[in-house]
Amino acid sequence: MHLQIYRYCPDNGLPPRMQEYRIEPEPGDRKLLDILIRIKAVDDSLSFRRSCREGICGSDAMNINGRNGLACLTPIEGLHEPVVIRPLPGLPVVRDLVVDMTLFFAHYSAIKPYLINTEPPPERERLQTPEQRECLDGLYECILCACCSTFCPSFWWNPDKFLGPAALLQAYRFIVDSRDRATAERLDYLDDVYRLYRCRTIMNCTEVCPKGLSPSHAIEQIRQALLVRSL
Amino acid sequence: MRLFSGQRAWLLQRLTAVLLLVACLAGLAALIFTPGFGYAQWKAFFSDGHGATLTVVCYIAICLHAWVGARDIILDYVPATAPRLALLSLVAVLLLATSVRLALLLAAQFMR
Repeated sequence: MHLQIYRYCPDNGLPPRMQEYRIEPEPGDRKLLDILIRIKAVDDSLSFRRSCREGICGSDAMNINGRNGLACLTPIEGLHEPVVIRPLPGLPVVRDLVVDMTLFFAHYSAIKPYLINTEPPPERERLQTPEQRECLDGLYECILCACCSTFCPSFWWNPDKFLGPAALLQAYRFIVDSRDRATAERLDYLDDVYRLYRCRTIMNCTEVCPKGLSPSHAIEQIRQALLVRSL
Repeated sequence: MRLFSGQRAWLLQRLTAVLLLVACLAGLAALIFTPGFGYAQWKAFFSDGHGATLTVVCYIAICLHAWVGARDIILDYVPATAPRLALLSLVAVLLLATSVRLALLLAAQFMR
């Protein structure tokens, strides 16, 4: 298998380069991450993040043949060769395929990703009807891999101000939660020309989400919620 | 009033788009279904009070739509404050100038 992998080490002072690798997959290798781990065994200078290896932790998000995705969910069968692997676009590179996600998580933190409810808690848990719980489907599954936000041109243009699809999907997850009582404050925060309205409905986010979620739909729902509120 | 509003600009862009779409379709329908619709008919339309009012309303809609669109492009592509303000001002001046020109042209129709 022929791969070209982005290499950059800030310590050696050299500019970034693409390094060629040729490696034979073993019979048990199914996903791209298996190949990267094999490369790591022969070239331990290659850096990338990975943890769960099954699409839950979101650590191994990278740009694979021009498209963001999780290496652990990308089958090696059918991949166009050479497989060109780059770090997630739009975020500063720490080293090789490892990017600095500080900004991404700052946006996530800014939308207050937790239930806000100052009412006295009931004796047991705050219950939801099956219908109320269904509203969270397609939202709570987000693993914050950043595939969507870093594939969004609006995020590339205004990474410091536009919250990005991942944070906005998470924002909607709490807006639509029947147990949350801070909808008005959340909407006030989002009604901003940069935070929400930089979204141009390009829909790259929905196209690349490795979990099959639709941040663009969530963004549309937030806009509708703002519209209904203003009426 | 915030210069860079979020929802208000977004809504304005969509409402003006709907208005302009209806106006375009109505104009197109007039051209297709009215035989011999030419210069004289256009002149009569703009000289009529209702026609002139409709034209002004549509032009205001175009200006608002163009302002939001141009503003979006400038906010996306021109991060530096000075060139951004210069470009925004240029767009605003252009839109205002063309609006004044249109108002003067229409007023001239009624002065004759």
